[in-house]
Amino acid sequence: MSNKELYSPEGLRLDGRRWNELKSFTCKVNTHQTSSDGSSYVQQGNTKVMCKVNGPLEPKSKANSNNNNASITVNLNIASFSPVERRKRPKSDRRIKEMMTILEKTFSETVITKLYPRTQIIVDCYVLSQDGGILSAVANSVTLALIDAGIAMYDFVSSINVGLYNNSIPILDLNHLEEGDMSFLTLGIVGKSEKLAMMLLEEKIPFDKLETLLGIGISGAQRIKDLMDEELRKHGKLLISTAAS
Amino acid sequence: MSTVIPKKRLASGLTVTQKVFVRSRNGGATKVVSEHYLRDDIPCYSKACTRCPEIVKPDANNQYPNFVLSDSPVYAEKYGHHYVVLDTNIVLLAIDLLENKDAFCDVIVPQTVLEEVRNRSFPIYTRLRALCKSDEKRFAVFHNEFSEDTFVSRLLNETINDRNDRAIRRCCDYFQKHLNQHRDKKVKQINVVFVCNDKKNRDAAAGAGIMADSLVDYVTNLPNGEDLLDFVPNMEDGPSFSHKKETKFPDYYTTARLMGGIKNGTLYQGSINISSYNFLEGTISVPSFKKPLIIMGRENLNRSFNGDQVVVELLPKSKWKTPSNEIVEEENMDANDNAEDGDSPNEIISDKERLFLLKEAQKASSEESSTRIQPTAKIVGITKRSWRFYVGQISENSVAKDSRTSNAARNCFVILMDRSLPKIRIRTRKAGELLGQRIVVAVDSWPSTSKYPEGHFVKSLGAIESVQAETEALLLEHSVEYKPFSKKVLECLPKEGHDWKVPTKLDGDEFIKKRKDFRDKLVCSIDPPGCVDIDDALHAKQLPDGNWEVGVHIADVTNFVKPNTPLDAEGAYRGTSVYLVDKRIDMLPELLGTDLCSLKPYVDRFAFSVIWTLDNDANIIDTNFHKSIIRSREAFSYERAQLRIDDASQQDDLTKGMRALLDLSIKLKQQRLDAGALNLASPEVKVHMDSETADPGEVEIKKLLATNSLVEEFMLLANISVAKKIYDAFPQTAMLRRHAAPPATNFEVLNEMLRVRKNMSISLDSSKALADSLDRCVDPQDPYFNTLLRIMATRCMMAAEYFPSGMFSYGEFRHYGLASEIYTHFTSPIRRYCDVVAHRQLAAAIGYESLDFSHRDKDKMELICKNINKRHRNAQFAGRASIEYYVGQVMKNNNNDTQEGYIIKVFSNGIVVLVPKFGIEGLIKLEVLGDANSAKFDDENFSLSFKDQNGDAKTISVFEHVNVQIKSVLDPATSKRKAQLVLV
Ligand SMILES: [Zn+2]
Repeated sequence: MSNKELYSPEGLRLDGRRWNELKSFTCKVNTHQTSSDGSSYVQQGNTKVMCKVNGPLEPKSKANSNNNNASITVNLNIASFSPVERRKRPKSDRRIKEMMTILEKTFSETVITKLYPRTQIIVDCYVLSQDGGILSAVANSVTLALIDAGIAMYDFVSSINVGLYNNSIPILDLNHLEEGDMSFLTLGIVGKSEKLAMMLLEEKIPFDKLETLLGIGISGAQRIKDLMDEELRKHGKLLISTAAS
Repeated sequence: MSTVIPKKRLASGLTVTQKVFVRSRNGGATKVVSEHYLRDDIPCYSKACTRCPEIVKPDANNQYPNFVLSDSPVYAEKYGHHYVVLDTNIVLLAIDLLENKDAFCDVIVPQTVLEEVRNRSFPIYTRLRALCKSDEKRFAVFHNEFSEDTFVSRLLNETINDRNDRAIRRCCDYFQKHLNQHRDKKVKQINVVFVCNDKKNRDAAAGAGIMADSLVDYVTNLPNGEDLLDFVPNMEDGPSFSHKKETKFPDYYTTARLMGGIKNGTLYQGSINISSYNFLEGTISVPSFKKPLIIMGRENLNRSFNGDQVVVELLPKSKWKTPSNEIVEEENMDANDNAEDGDSPNEIISDKERLFLLKEAQKASSEESSTRIQPTAKIVGITKRSWRFYVGQISENSVAKDSRTSNAARNCFVILMDRSLPKIRIRTRKAGELLGQRIVVAVDSWPSTSKYPEGHFVKSLGAIESVQAETEALLLEHSVEYKPFSKKVLECLPKEGHDWKVPTKLDGDEFIKKRKDFRDKLVCSIDPPGCVDIDDALHAKQLPDGNWEVGVHIADVTNFVKPNTPLDAEGAYRGTSVYLVDKRIDMLPELLGTDLCSLKPYVDRFAFSVIWTLDNDANIIDTNFHKSIIRSREAFSYERAQLRIDDASQQDDLTKGMRALLDLSIKLKQQRLDAGALNLASPEVKVHMDSETADPGEVEIKKLLATNSLVEEFMLLANISVAKKIYDAFPQTAMLRRHAAPPATNFEVLNEMLRVRKNMSISLDSSKALADSLDRCVDPQDPYFNTLLRIMATRCMMAAEYFPSGMFSYGEFRHYGLASEIYTHFTSPIRRYCDVVAHRQLAAAIGYESLDFSHRDKDKMELICKNINKRHRNAQFAGRASIEYYVGQVMKNNNNDTQEGYIIKVFSNGIVVLVPKFGIEGLIKLEVLGDANSAKFDDENFSLSFKDQNGDAKTISVFEHVNVQIKSVLDPATSKRKAQLVLV
């Protein structure tokens, strides 16, 4: 048991945030210009994630080719030094597999795949440091890298997780200690809408609380979207000014 | 290790920094980095502040924080109007004083302190949090670690403790400046006083211009300081307790050594059980040894209290002992110890004790058969103290007569009601005043240099032997919550109060629609006379095919007690109703227990029904569960039910149903006995026994009627059926009850006594074998012998316990006493919390409503079970203690009554006699029996020979029948009125 209060009666969390505050969020795009078509780096608190996108390219094998759409392959690498205690996770780890499948499904729906028939888009994600919310950080970095690669998408996918403390209090954007102690939901939304592109529930949440949690998660994800949008515009302006000079 | 960590400013008044520390676990070191946010919106919670109300933010429920600190706090000459900032050591030491309603209002608890307290003692943390919640005490937690104004980083080479002390001082400084700057100018000056018992920290505070004082000095300077000084715990950095002489207990091993030892198997951990006959002997059961380890002598017991979690080290085989055969009481051994140590501290080991230990050592070495020698150990560490509040009274001879009227503080001893615990030394000014009163004390510490633990006075309950003081004492001693229900709890009851009615419209909400209407069934209840909380009612009806439809209807308590309400929390906390001889302490408010839930006759009530189809041999063909509405036709007492059944002229359907129930119950009972259910006491005594736990319940002897067991059999059947159903639905979290088979070692001594004295034996192969062998143990000369043996066998059994099903494998669910594979408690939800949980789980299992999270979470269920097991046990002890007190009072009026008794234990210097008529047992010491010097103790034959008062030689042994005179005497040591027995 931790010697701290997970959520104090005064309304503060382990790390000093309030229930609806995000971890400090920073992101960069176009971080690996030479080795990829599009790349990004996302940091949410101490969770640090990097993403590289290559494609659309000729598929390596016929199996990956689809006559009408592009096929998206996501690889997720979790560095063995990324958690608090060093641990090697094989790529076949069930949880990693699950996350890759979710990401592939989500982005196959958001990328306008019919524009790139018979091609493959390869997304490589690297988790460098973990402090909760890996899936949402990865999803955010994939969005940024795809945009950087100039691949057509319907809209952003922005993602965040939200937990339920003591079966009554919703908590936004959990760190790893909080994730260990409560049931939580990771969700991704499309653009600034309330449409869910992705949802994953860990453990169990009473049905009557779900709506509240979704509402809070959606507004959190919208804030993330704004932050990513701001960074992209800054990057765009920089590109234009360098091109002009 | 320390690094300069950059702070990064985020938007909206938030700064983030990193906390880095090194955690060692399993020998390896891990560097842990976590985020730490600093904010500018943490309010000071003072009503006098003009700034903070502007900056506060709402929580998840859109509630704004409450500014609790008063704008005109308490005034003291030295400090002016002031708030108090507490240091960690004050909270840990003096939580009782902090809870006092006459002092310590308007207190600031820095987060640093709160976290340190939580780290050191979770129970104290819980109490501190409760203080912060209460409106009267006005405690505010200030999150100094998260405020950018008060956060301090650790400096190079600074220890954690020094850093925390600095953080607390910074917090004091901030508050003072903040109040000076932002205080509403209409309000008088408010100061901040730092109360701390660490001189170094106080000096540093004074250096920084912070007002700081020790607890004693602070309390002394308060206007009502005189009255409060007694509550100040006994541990100052001052000179109040100094022990000069080298006599001391062995020091405990370091934590690392204890952990290492437990891990590599050289040390053992367990809970110590100190003999109630001999305060110098304790036993501890550890899985590695078949027999419990003996711990003998004060030095080896090394300051442990009965029930402490201790770590022991085995002594060399040459020092192993046999269990003592002597009665040793602290009051005889150390009667002359001086409470005021003065120049000659009490030696820890007295000469008398040395003599006792020498005798025990000789006994062990002369023991021919080494079978009785048990592994012996010494205590080398205590991992968890069982300290709580204790009830006792001041030892008269520890207070000098001539000083009783003076008001000077002095040390005196408090003798506790629980004889297996040592005297507590307290320091008080009111010793004279408190003599002859039942008082509550708390234990503070037991330094290795002190022969006695040190504590402080908490409160007085009233004069010794007054009913009110004694009742409160025994409730406190057994941690029974007896305060009236709070307003919040009572607010959860239906607003209509006693006028609440079952709705007449049955197509109301979805829940009413799901109920079955059983009002046409001929239901009746059978209970003891005068019963007002009717939990259960029954009906039986013959079906066209000759089978029987039998229904057990249980009060639908969960219709009123919803999860996550204050009412539910209170019920879960109390766990059970407690029945004293003259008083009942309810688990749920009376309105529910005796009216709305009670299945009273002639009115509609909600019920939870179990309906079986039984064939004529009482085999179950079909079981169904329904939430229902019933209308009981009649509430019978056992006698009236019996009369009605026996009266052949009664031929109505209700009576016929009752006859059928009786008939079926006899068959059910036979089935149960055939399966090996235990019948632990013969009918005569059985009236005072709960057949499941075999605990005595009542003093009076009642005639046992067939109707008693009628009700009992169907309740058992209902419990078993429900247990199966909820286990089916919730395999991990079903609330169940198990009763483990007793280990053979428990019966060793009893079997040996039987073999030697009666040439009989008890078999432990199975519960069936045990039941049969108990039936065979009959002494034609002594018809009571079999009952006596059953009573003694009961004491060798394990205690039944509640558990969530995921905690054991199915095979271990077994209820040994009832010979049932699975069991739970379902039939008394008014007075047991287990039943409430079982009701909710069953309701969910049949799809009536969804199950609350706390009942389908394994960890939460384990906590619930742990609590109700403890409450259940305490309730039994409290009930027994109440009977003991009651019998003592009855005896006071009819002395010199001669009664039959049986010897159940023989010591080398006394015997223990059980008097069946009153269910009491008493110790008769050798001095009272006759000439102590002539006595010869034969431990192989469990007998004692001596010359009685007339000089005639006499030999008595275990199981023997004796006549005793019962006198009621006030035990001079504990001031408990007890029945004293004298052999005639
Ligand atoms: Zn303020």
